[in-house]
Amino acid sequence: MSVLTVVARHELLASRRNRAPQLLVVMFVGMVAFSAFIGWMTQHTVSGIYRQVLADGLTTQPNPFLDVAPLFFARNTVIYVVMIGTLMAAALGVQSALRDRKAATADLVLSRPASVRGVLAGRMIGIGGLLAIVVAASTVISWASISAITRAPLGAGDSARLAEFGLLTWVLLVGFAALGVLGGLYVRRETTALLAPFVAWAVIAFVLPQLGTAARPVSLLNPVAAVPQTSGVFHAVSYVTGPLSVTEHFKTASSAILEGSSGGFPVASVAVIAFFAAALCAAVVATSPSRLRGGTSE
Amino acid sequence: MTSIAISTHGLTHRYGPTLALRSLSLEVAAGEIFGLLGHNGAGKTTTVALLTTLLRPSGGTASVAGHDIVADARGVRAAIGYLPENVQFYDELTLMENLRFFAKLSGIAKPDARIGEVLAFLDFEGHHTERLGTFSKGMRQRVGIAQAILHRPAVLFLDEPTSGLDPEGVRTLRETVVRLNGEWGTTIFMNTHLLAEVTRTCTSIGILRQGELVHQDSLSATLGAYPTEQALEAAYFEAAA
Repeated sequence: MSVLTVVARHELLASRRNRAPQLLVVMFVGMVAFSAFIGWMTQHTVSGIYRQVLADGLTTQPNPFLDVAPLFFARNTVIYVVMIGTLMAAALGVQSALRDRKAATADLVLSRPASVRGVLAGRMIGIGGLLAIVVAASTVISWASISAITRAPLGAGDSARLAEFGLLTWVLLVGFAALGVLGGLYVRRETTALLAPFVAWAVIAFVLPQLGTAARPVSLLNPVAAVPQTSGVFHAVSYVTGPLSVTEHFKTASSAILEGSSGGFPVASVAVIAFFAAALCAAVVATSPSRLRGGTSE
Repeated sequence: MTSIAISTHGLTHRYGPTLALRSLSLEVAAGEIFGLLGHNGAGKTTTVALLTTLLRPSGGTASVAGHDIVADARGVRAAIGYLPENVQFYDELTLMENLRFFAKLSGIAKPDARIGEVLAFLDFEGHHTERLGTFSKGMRQRVGIAQAILHRPAVLFLDEPTSGLDPEGVRTLRETVVRLNGEWGTTIFMNTHLLAEVTRTCTSIGILRQGELVHQDSLSATLGAYPTEQALEAAYFEAAA
């Protein structure tokens, strides 16, 4: 059995026994399941109001919600991925790195005939595997919930788009998990190691979008496929912070995938997310053994 | 001809501007139990960290079981077992899960069978499904020995192995070290600051003072020069101070 497989399996086993990330996983999967219900409730409420308005003779327009696409009900999931999923992934990553440092098991691992790169890559594969299970479970729940609400199984096209969205979510979460691992490896003090990735998460998920998209507040909380163009200062700020606003790219790409945007596959946004994840994973694997050991006394 | 298990020539290590180990040259023959004595901060842990390839030396050369610690670090790691001071494990995992992980990392094809053999050798059976978080210090130390000998290493490094153990734990560990050496032929390199441990367990000793080896000889020769416990203790304090 290769080092990658051994460490990845160990990572899955150890993460399964860790309560804090488990809680976040349950919360994330629960919110994903709930999001379809929220979407249905929104439609139900607005349609009720529409019927009232129609009965009062205040409009003659057709109900705009009648022709809504089934994947509309998954839109809230995008926000939960950005707000809870990424935080969960960062927490998983930090816990993974801190587990070895707190238990001081790094010396036991590094004194084995296994390469450090193999150990770190195995760790990322393990975390990636865990996140794949979480994302797959939430995608299945989403599919079942939407099928139940629309009273018909999702069609092949919609199912494929939901799977694409799941894959994109997984890539984004792997990036944030790697960010967490880096925090756990590079920051000496435990509390700061826990805090650092969360500060980075807050900057990426909230500060950068505020700087770049404050001119279009609707897109802050909602996935918008066709982002309106800005000008002047906002345009200049967006130009600089745009590539760094990974969660904004995720919202844009997710919206294009879920709504089947006429603009085609969101290549640029997906590329930014993939680069973010790949670069951070590479940084984890390139970490020197001394970082794993957390310093040597005497 | 006696083969050499550990050999160092001018081995040096610096932590930034601090010289932790100063041109260490020593040889440990295969099959010996070598005790490296020294006060806290003398450089014992640094020596073990270098010989187990956890640190890269700032200067000098060393080989363990015939493998160069820099050029063939993986070869060294395949040939050694290591028990760090105050060994820790994954507390949320069971004894078997912990040992299985380390056995697989060592490339053992059938880990469960080997773990069974090792735990039987250490007379430590019946705790397979218990989580390490519930183990006492003495039990953890035995698990530490178990993980270090799973792959039957040629050389075993023990860093302050009796640290924090009660008298019963110390005796058990001492017996285990002697049995490993006698029954498996394992060469043992043991760091300690306890003179009594060395005189009861080791076949040769070295004394490290402020990163410098100031004495190395067989235990019998050392005891010949210092026949009483008081004389030996005085010589140790003089050498290590």
